[in-house]
Amino acid sequence: MPPRLPFRRPLCSQLPVVAKVQPPLCLRLAPRRHITAEEKPLPETDGKGPGHDHSHLPHVSEEAAAIGKVTGEGGPDIEEQGTPVQEVLNRDEKAEEKKPEVLKEKPDSKVPTGVRTFSTMARQRSDALLAISQDSAIESPGHLFGLPELPLPSNGHMKYRYEPIVKQITGLIMKSGKLGVAQRNTAMILNHLRTASPPTINPNRPLIPGAPPASQLPLNPILYMTLAIDSVAPLFRIRAIRGAAGGGTALQIPVPLTIKQRRRQAFMWILASASKRRTRGSGRGGFAQKVAEELIAVVEGRSGVWDRRGGIHKLGIAARANLRIRRK
Amino acid sequence: MSFRPCWRCFLRASDLSTSIWQPSPARLSASAAPFSTSTSSLTNASADRSTAFRAKVFNLKKEKPKNDVRAKRPAPGERKAYRKRIILSNTNALPIYGMEDFTVENMCKQESKGMVLGIPGNNVDQLRAVEAFKPTQAWGMFRRPGMLVRNETVEYAKLLEELQSQGKSLRRVLVGERGSGKSVMVLQAMTMAFLKGWTVINIPEAQELIIGHYDYAPLSGSSPLLFIQKSYTARLLSQISRSNPQLETLRLSSTPPSNFPIPIPANISLARLAGLGASDPEIAWPVFQLLISELTLPNSSIAADDQKRPPLLFTLDSLANAMKDQTAYMTASFKPIHAHDLTLLKTFMDYLSGASPLPNGGLILAATSASNPPPNPSLDLALAKLETHSASQSSAPSPDPYNPSPATPNPFYTYDQRVMDIFEGPNGGQVEVQRLPGLSKEEAKGLMEYWAKSGILRQDVDERLVGEKWSLSGGGIVGELERGCIRMRI
Repeated sequence: MPPRLPFRRPLCSQLPVVAKVQPPLCLRLAPRRHITAEEKPLPETDGKGPGHDHSHLPHVSEEAAAIGKVTGEGGPDIEEQGTPVQEVLNRDEKAEEKKPEVLKEKPDSKVPTGVRTFSTMARQRSDALLAISQDSAIESPGHLFGLPELPLPSNGHMKYRYEPIVKQITGLIMKSGKLGVAQRNTAMILNHLRTASPPTINPNRPLIPGAPPASQLPLNPILYMTLAIDSVAPLFRIRAIRGAAGGGTALQIPVPLTIKQRRRQAFMWILASASKRRTRGSGRGGFAQKVAEELIAVVEGRSGVWDRRGGIHKLGIAARANLRIRRK
Repeated sequence: MSFRPCWRCFLRASDLSTSIWQPSPARLSASAAPFSTSTSSLTNASADRSTAFRAKVFNLKKEKPKNDVRAKRPAPGERKAYRKRIILSNTNALPIYGMEDFTVENMCKQESKGMVLGIPGNNVDQLRAVEAFKPTQAWGMFRRPGMLVRNETVEYAKLLEELQSQGKSLRRVLVGERGSGKSVMVLQAMTMAFLKGWTVINIPEAQELIIGHYDYAPLSGSSPLLFIQKSYTARLLSQISRSNPQLETLRLSSTPPSNFPIPIPANISLARLAGLGASDPEIAWPVFQLLISELTLPNSSIAADDQKRPPLLFTLDSLANAMKDQTAYMTASFKPIHAHDLTLLKTFMDYLSGASPLPNGGLILAATSASNPPPNPSLDLALAKLETHSASQSSAPSPDPYNPSPATPNPFYTYDQRVMDIFEGPNGGQVEVQRLPGLSKEEAKGLMEYWAKSGILRQDVDERLVGEKWSLSGGGIVGELERGCIRMRI
């Protein structure tokens, strides 16, 4: 058995280095054969790129006729197709004189101008760019917006564009699947944190280490909120196993939580505590105001959520005697 | 000892003599007077026991929780005041060193375009007094109120300069998409007017006047019957006297009408006159009439030693509300009152239509609102007609794809002639309609740099971000830009 590597190399570095650059797989698929009336041989490529020359393909109506023949639905009649009258008139002067009265009449003045009074155009992509510099285009020819800088940012993916904690609490705030309302509430909570005065931190309620000074918190509301939630997040939950202790009592065992579970529990406590607060104004900002005030109260050590966390931890300390730690 | 209890009442035999089966004297007296039960039930202790017993056993309903008197209930209007409060400063936001103030000199400079200039402190107080700031705007996120100088701002600065120097007047309606900056443009015009010493009268929200929240009364002697709103007029007078300090120097130059309700001194200052009306709603309307006639007296008719009348800026926001044919107010015959029969709105409409002249020059500025306005086909038609008349706007696409030709009357709609007359009357053709477009990318860049310098937008403001946000805001619609960058950003 070969010795286990301490870590795996990234996948990209495991690939063998190939000298010849091959086109990607999606472009290497065989071109689809069309059904034609006479089975023409497939055209030769000129070797410049994938795909074949479209001039070798039959006309659209020829192809439609062929399909009609196969399916038995008819299709356009190629042999007996008439020539448009305008073409005849253009090439024959006598016909121009003898054309029917209808064609001799002057066209109606109400010809559509082809101009609408309203715009149906989508906004051009090029509008999005400030016409300040063209450097990026020069640096990477062939790319409209240039190549992205690597490594890609963690929020570069559409589904992960928000901070993980913001996404999580937006989901916890959401009711009846109304994500937009929840996002608006989250934004209002963050704005409330931005405009409220900086918290006075209580030394008896220690926050998580590494927190910036309180004066810097309001301008970074996501950090402010993270600090509040992570500081009161419980480390474990108490799991009651029935029948394990004997005598009809449940055996209580502390179970560690992941960071997401810890934050969920903390925020649910904060929500419950905020719902008991009094709304100061009318209108739709009331919920956000209550939650934001509760978050500030947590950082300042005034919130009752600290006691709930303390209660769980106390129980956990008592229940750790029930743990069976495997010793080697 | 024999205990023979009674099987029915479980009393011992010895007590049977006093049991309920033996008529006691009290019982006898009670039965003697069956129509009066109160005395016996009150005096008899056993009756109390029986009711207590009944209450305990047979009342299965839950007792109602008592009202918690500890929680203080909010005072009337307190919650609304909290919702509508105007906050103009955020002490957390970073101050921007070197931010210039809005002055008469730099507001009409081309170089100021795309810059955010601060509103001078005393102007902030004046604007607050005329209720120019709205709670939906994001003033409360920055260290001090500042506003973007956009292309139209410079145009307005030049326009006010021209109107003042030539003594001309202009009537204009601002239209545009929701969040395109119409109300802030009115605020900018007011700031400029304050800086130039104009008199400013502002009706901050026409909806307040028509939804029946203020008292109203018929104006005696008017034909057709008009209605005055005394307390709103008093409020407006207080707003005028607080925001226009130059009224202190202006003196009453005409004699008040003979039926004026109170005697006033001949040489009273206009600020004092407005203050009199503000303190007493009963005389507010005649005072307002006198004040506005004084403010629009031609300077040629004023005595040489008296102060000349400055130009007037009269503004109104949410115009569609002021054009409603049915307000929440009712006549004595219980018909809804037309908005133009309310005297304050009628005064504004007379200036807007040109029926009342502005001899000393000035600007009448009305802004439409695109946030939940009442439907008003007459106003839409009139504005669309005026907009297509002006040559510069003729190629503008219709904002409503379902109504590609808004300037032609729809046969299925009924139009209000009183509304149409304001814009199509003898002087109506001169009303200008100005459509506010989105910001240019340079202006958007200036604004976003201001947000970033204030510490509210925590991102590098580069070409890519500006282009992205500009596109997402529908081509620089400033309200949407603000929502996307600072207000609704998570």
